[in-house]
Amino acid sequence: MRRVLALAALLLLGGCAGWQTPLDPAGEQARHIYSFLELILWVCGFFYLLVLAFLGWGLWRARRRSAEGPEIAPADRGLDRALIVWSALIVVGLTVLTLGAFFVDRALANAQARETLTVRVTGQQWWWRIRYRDPATGRWIETANELHLPLGKTTRIELGSADVIHSLWIPNLAGKTDVIPGHPNAFDVTPRAPGWYRGQCAEFCGAQHAHMALWVKVEPPAAFARWLAGQARSAASPADPEQARGMKLVTQGPCAACHTLRGTPADGRPGPDLTHLASRRSLAAGTLPMTRGALQGWIARPQAVKPGTLMPAVSLSPTDLDAVAAYLAALQ
Amino acid sequence: MSPPAPFPDASRSQRLAAAWADPPGLWGFLTTVDHKRIAARYIVTTLLLLFLAGMVALDMRLQLIQPDMKRMGPQMYDEAFSLHGSTMLFLVSVPVMEAMALWLVPLMLGQRNVAFPRLAAFSYWLYLGGVLMLWVPHALGITPDIGWFEYPPLSGPAYGPGHRADIWAQMITFTEVAALAASVNIVATILKLRPPGMTLARMPLFVWAQLIASIMTILAMPAIMLVTSMLIADRMISTHFFSPSGGGDVLLFQHLFWFFGHPEVYIIFLPATGFVSAIVATFARRPVFGQVPMVLSMLAVGLFGFGLWVHHMYAVGLPRLGNDFYTAASMAIALPVGIQIFCWTATIWSGRPRFQTPMLWVIGFILTFVIGGLSGVMTGAAPLDLQLTDTYFVVAHLHYVLIGGAIFPLLGAFCYWYPKATGRMMSERWGVVAFVLIVGGFNLGFFPMHILGLEGMPRRIYTYGPEMGWGTLNLIATLGSAMAVAGGLVMVANGLLSLRFGERAGADPWDAPTLEWACESPPPCYNFEYTPVVEDLVPLWREGDLPVMDGMSLDSRELLVTSAVEGIPEYRQNSVGPSIWPLVAALAVAAMFIGSIFTAWAVVIGAVPIGIALTIWFWPTRQPATSGPFASRGR
Amino acid sequence: MERAGRCASLLLLLALAACSREERDFRTTAAQTAPHGPADPRIPFYQGNLYQVSQGGRYFSWYGCGGCHGEKAQGVLKLSDDAWKHGGAFDQVYRSIAAHAEGPRIPPEQLWQITAYVRDMHTHTPAKLRRQDLDEKGEPTGDSWSGPVR
Repeated sequence: MRRVLALAALLLLGGCAGWQTPLDPAGEQARHIYSFLELILWVCGFFYLLVLAFLGWGLWRARRRSAEGPEIAPADRGLDRALIVWSALIVVGLTVLTLGAFFVDRALANAQARETLTVRVTGQQWWWRIRYRDPATGRWIETANELHLPLGKTTRIELGSADVIHSLWIPNLAGKTDVIPGHPNAFDVTPRAPGWYRGQCAEFCGAQHAHMALWVKVEPPAAFARWLAGQARSAASPADPEQARGMKLVTQGPCAACHTLRGTPADGRPGPDLTHLASRRSLAAGTLPMTRGALQGWIARPQAVKPGTLMPAVSLSPTDLDAVAAYLAALQ
Repeated sequence: MSPPAPFPDASRSQRLAAAWADPPGLWGFLTTVDHKRIAARYIVTTLLLLFLAGMVALDMRLQLIQPDMKRMGPQMYDEAFSLHGSTMLFLVSVPVMEAMALWLVPLMLGQRNVAFPRLAAFSYWLYLGGVLMLWVPHALGITPDIGWFEYPPLSGPAYGPGHRADIWAQMITFTEVAALAASVNIVATILKLRPPGMTLARMPLFVWAQLIASIMTILAMPAIMLVTSMLIADRMISTHFFSPSGGGDVLLFQHLFWFFGHPEVYIIFLPATGFVSAIVATFARRPVFGQVPMVLSMLAVGLFGFGLWVHHMYAVGLPRLGNDFYTAASMAIALPVGIQIFCWTATIWSGRPRFQTPMLWVIGFILTFVIGGLSGVMTGAAPLDLQLTDTYFVVAHLHYVLIGGAIFPLLGAFCYWYPKATGRMMSERWGVVAFVLIVGGFNLGFFPMHILGLEGMPRRIYTYGPEMGWGTLNLIATLGSAMAVAGGLVMVANGLLSLRFGERAGADPWDAPTLEWACESPPPCYNFEYTPVVEDLVPLWREGDLPVMDGMSLDSRELLVTSAVEGIPEYRQNSVGPSIWPLVAALAVAAMFIGSIFTAWAVVIGAVPIGIALTIWFWPTRQPATSGPFASRGR
Repeated sequence: MERAGRCASLLLLLALAACSREERDFRTTAAQTAPHGPADPRIPFYQGNLYQVSQGGRYFSWYGCGGCHGEKAQGVLKLSDDAWKHGGAFDQVYRSIAAHAEGPRIPPEQLWQITAYVRDMHTHTPAKLRRQDLDEKGEPTGDSWSGPVR
């Protein structure tokens, strides 16, 4: 009884942040897995209670047994039969679970036949490079750390690694799939509920493995198409002199060696594409919120936010930093 | 049942002691081949490491107690979990089980030593080399920091600069050679050095467990030695084993690693089942129910254990049907384990249980380990595992099975055999306090981690944001872990203080059935005065005196070799006395292993002192046999 | 006894010296100015540290240096021999990289790391350099990226 209460209390205290959990499925794939979770919890709970009951009964009986010498050759016929029943129960339980797992796996595999959109996600230390095909021109549009998915349609996510092993895990939508150099993996997601969900890298990949998250927005197909069209456009032009100065600093200075801003001379590939930086929900792979202050802090001292990060610390004067941040914060 | 009369016999024991004693002082310490002394130093070392690695874990828990803690940066945290995992799995769990076998198996078989005494000493020295290989660099600040598993390419030459990864890989080589040496010894002892009349059917379940675990060790260890050597080769001499662009495969590492890694957990678990069987029989006052199903279950675990390793790789993108096959196999192993749980519980149910501390640990084991086994069934299902793997759910599962399933029985075993090893009883009252703190603290600490995993918390992260909502459960987990550590300290204090103040124990304070309780407590250097003869599973519970044989030499070291299945005496074997050569050989091997981190030539150059040491070690000094199957003919 | 003590101290010093090579220090205030001369005290922090050298290797590829100075480079472009056109001291190599076409785009700390890497290259066999390059095939180089490792 104490155990049950304790369990209930724990679940309440947990305070599920519902946007990164397999317990709140928002997609087909996660739903299949969740229904299997329910089945297996019942089966496992049943067997644990049987073990508790048997042990408890044995301990209860002990109170009334005498403490004579040891029994060398006890008659065990009832127990022999009970063992056979117990073994049969286990076999039945395991068969049910194995078949259940097989059918869930088959359901997960079946979704592949209906995929309508392909996204390429590349894991790098310690961020996610995301590429969509522009439906208008057929070129690849690149963004980072934020995935948008059309509601109700199946999207195939093709995975690749630029360096070490990572793992893409968006628990509300699907199980995780490792991102392995030399092994191109792919998995399907069919989202059924709109909203924001959070994913995180789930395979230790170095110093900043803890800060390698991505946000996923599930939106109606029309909104998704609008978003994608917006991402396909070049970078917004600066709106005032401070932003213009910032743009000059970014596109002609160190930033351009690693970052791309489409429509400007900046064409570096090692770092994330910044063309529509400010349209994203977060910064530095889910580590900071996308605000002007966070942006400025990240650029000024990246090692303070993500110690070990590969983003260089570029020393800018305070006015230069203001200009750069003003320009980047306007890149919707 | 009482030991044989006259017991003890002063002149017999003096002659035996003269033949079997070690030289005094430091030289005796360095040259001993007494299995009890070697096992004792093994156990003390593993317990020290258990404490150290436990402190490292508490450090990690303090870092995670609340979101965004800045106590430990990523480098320190990565070093911490790598050190904790590597120490617990390679330097504590497997060696402590081997050490318990080394101490108990000859005693349970009525023998005076193991089959290969110098190999036992060599095994300890190499193990110590492995300990130093990991912990001295830690003291110097170059702790390996890419996990206890070090997957390439993160551990490859491009992303793992320096020697940290090599240090880890060579630590493994040390411990694997030590484990192989210990396992070969145990298998030979169990198969050929049993007492007259102990057929395989009359062998205690503990001995069966150690036999199967040792055979598994021999078959599994080569895979990890191979894979870590391949990793060093990639890093040092630029081979391409794990380089996808160079024609290699990153997954090869994972397959070879887990081909060892999964049997390893059964290598840790099976001896623990042996402890439980021994304790349950004694404290329920009857032989364990279902001797045959128990033995068959342990054999099944040993066999199936080699066919499950892919369940650590469900997320890597192997063919789905393959995943489903391994799901079925992983589920299947729950059957033999479930049968064992039934048999122990049935023994308690039908026996007349006494609830002293060792029995409490068995109950704690059943309550805790079954949760771990069931969470293992959950993670064993491939589609569900895709949500659970690499999260705190797996952290919870692995600790439930390793602590609940191996450490709890080990602590029970310490309480149970403490009187035999020291001649004193531990305090019952403080034993119960320690039990409550440890079992309660452990469950409080680790049960919330199941929920954390289901709430999306991945493994191996040094911090997390406050918006994730993981703070409260992490706080509870840390408090529970601290409680368990406190309980551990109480237990250690109990063990140390009882050495001095504990009530004196006789040969058989628990009225137990197996042979180790027929000699004095603590056992003299020669273990038994006479050779016990066994007529059934529970020799000390029979009415009357224990039947014994005489005829083994009292003035030289001799072991009685018997047949593998029937336990029929075959011949008397001269057993080796103290020798410095195991230590010298171990030093030579250590020099080669350490040197080969820095240059490949160390393998060639290092082979020379090893060859010399082994030659002197094996140089025949005993007289050729004059009787038995190896007697020289035509003399 | 005294000799044993001296041997032990020597070994300890060697060990400690070796350990600084293995340190991983994610400092937030790293070198932000050019080296003052060949004996600038900051040099051992970079040149003597394997982590800093390997970071230099990564940035070597990211800033596109591998395009001209890669595996197939010959003559004066080959950096993995021990021949230095503009001098081989740390500050000389640093200045020659900073004066390079790409130089102004490389922040000071990365210049330090790349200098350390370039000066370390000749201590490795070609097989070793190639083996490291193989693992980094999926990394971007300058303004091009050939996709993830397939």
